[in-house]
Amino acid sequence: MTKKIMIIDDDPVIVKYLETIFHNSGYITCVARDGSEGIDIVKREKPDLITLDLEMPEEWGPRFYRKLSKEKEFKNIPVIVISGLSGNRYAIHKAVASLTKPFDKDVLLKIVTDTIGK
Amino acid sequence: MFKKILFATAGTPSCDAAARVSFDMAKRYNAKLFTIHVFGVPSRSFSQVLKDIRTGNEIDLHDDQLGKIKSELEETYEQQIKDYTPCETIVTNGIPHTEILRVARKKNIDLIVMGARTSTAKKMSPLSRNIIGSTLQGVARSAKCPVLIIGRAAASFWGGISNIVLGTDFSKASDRAFGFAFDLTLMFHASLHIFHAIDIRSDPYKNTKNQEVIEDRIREVRKMIRKKYISRMGSYADYEIDVWEGIPHVEVVKYSRENFADLIVVAHHTKKMIPEEEVFGSTVEQIVLRSNAPVISFNHPVRKKRDI
Repeated sequence: MTKKIMIIDDDPVIVKYLETIFHNSGYITCVARDGSEGIDIVKREKPDLITLDLEMPEEWGPRFYRKLSKEKEFKNIPVIVISGLSGNRYAIHKAVASLTKPFDKDVLLKIVTDTIGK
Repeated sequence: MFKKILFATAGTPSCDAAARVSFDMAKRYNAKLFTIHVFGVPSRSFSQVLKDIRTGNEIDLHDDQLGKIKSELEETYEQQIKDYTPCETIVTNGIPHTEILRVARKKNIDLIVMGARTSTAKKMSPLSRNIIGSTLQGVARSAKCPVLIIGRAAASFWGGISNIVLGTDFSKASDRAFGFAFDLTLMFHASLHIFHAIDIRSDPYKNTKNQEVIEDRIREVRKMIRKKYISRMGSYADYEIDVWEGIPHVEVVKYSRENFADLIVVAHHTKKMIPEEEVFGSTVEQIVLRSNAPVISFNHPVRKKRDI
């Protein structure tokens, strides 16, 4: 079954770029433009992995992750932090990886395939 | 509660995390933000006057010199200022903590925001201690309003207050810290986590291997929290009480991380009679430097505000 990746980012350029990378590698995607709408979309789409920006206008990534970790069904969905903020690897300590923008797409894809497979 | 926020900055990358929280907080809670930078005499410590470094002669501080530094600072925070306009930049010279306190008093500031230190060294020398800066110590010691400290970049990935951890040692200052934390809890409809760490390094636990003694103490402390704090919370039900054994600062940092704290409220050590003589205790200092949430620490009773 095709794996689904959820992209949470407020920057449409990054969202487009990530969608292209994942589609080209055989994944399907869904998108949340802010942490505040993230949980509803997780419940609806049930993604296999989430890429998460930290700084967003309404709700920041760590706050979204806090809500996610309270949901029994979804708390173990692997999360990859993708952010331009320095020190981002300390933001969500249970994240499978943290990448700083601009990031290497091959590194991201390797982390994704290592985590959820093809 | 936070209508006027004072962000004290050296303008260096080490203050970026504190800047992030200051601007975000001001925007989120519609506060007026004052950004202050205090510069001193080039080389040889700080002073109220500016001196030429070669001749030692006193120099008049012209408006254009101040203006230059001010515009440089505004350039540093250009993006944030563009996003949130109710900001005022203040540039002055003198002893940093004195000037910060002076402005805080004059402007009737509700909250001072600072980084823990201005050193930009990424890796500390093996001989240096993990300590907070002297300006922060000076400000925290004498400020009449709470001081919010951003010790690490990780403490600035924030976005509002909805989970508050109160670290208490049951001192009088901790009682005041509770009052403040509870006011914040009500204001932001937050969860309040009241936490105490039993120091297993100190007597009477140091020499005992008996876990039952420690667990009896945990039970006693939980009772004490109910009596001292919960009884003052009326019908407010969104709280948790936790008591762990260990090394206090480590336990507070761990507890805050596991509970996704947005804010840690602690009081300085209060064994001295005169608050101005207090410096950060080692526990508070290490919490400030290690936690991945901003820390509010205060020494004095917080001024009573009409809107609290």
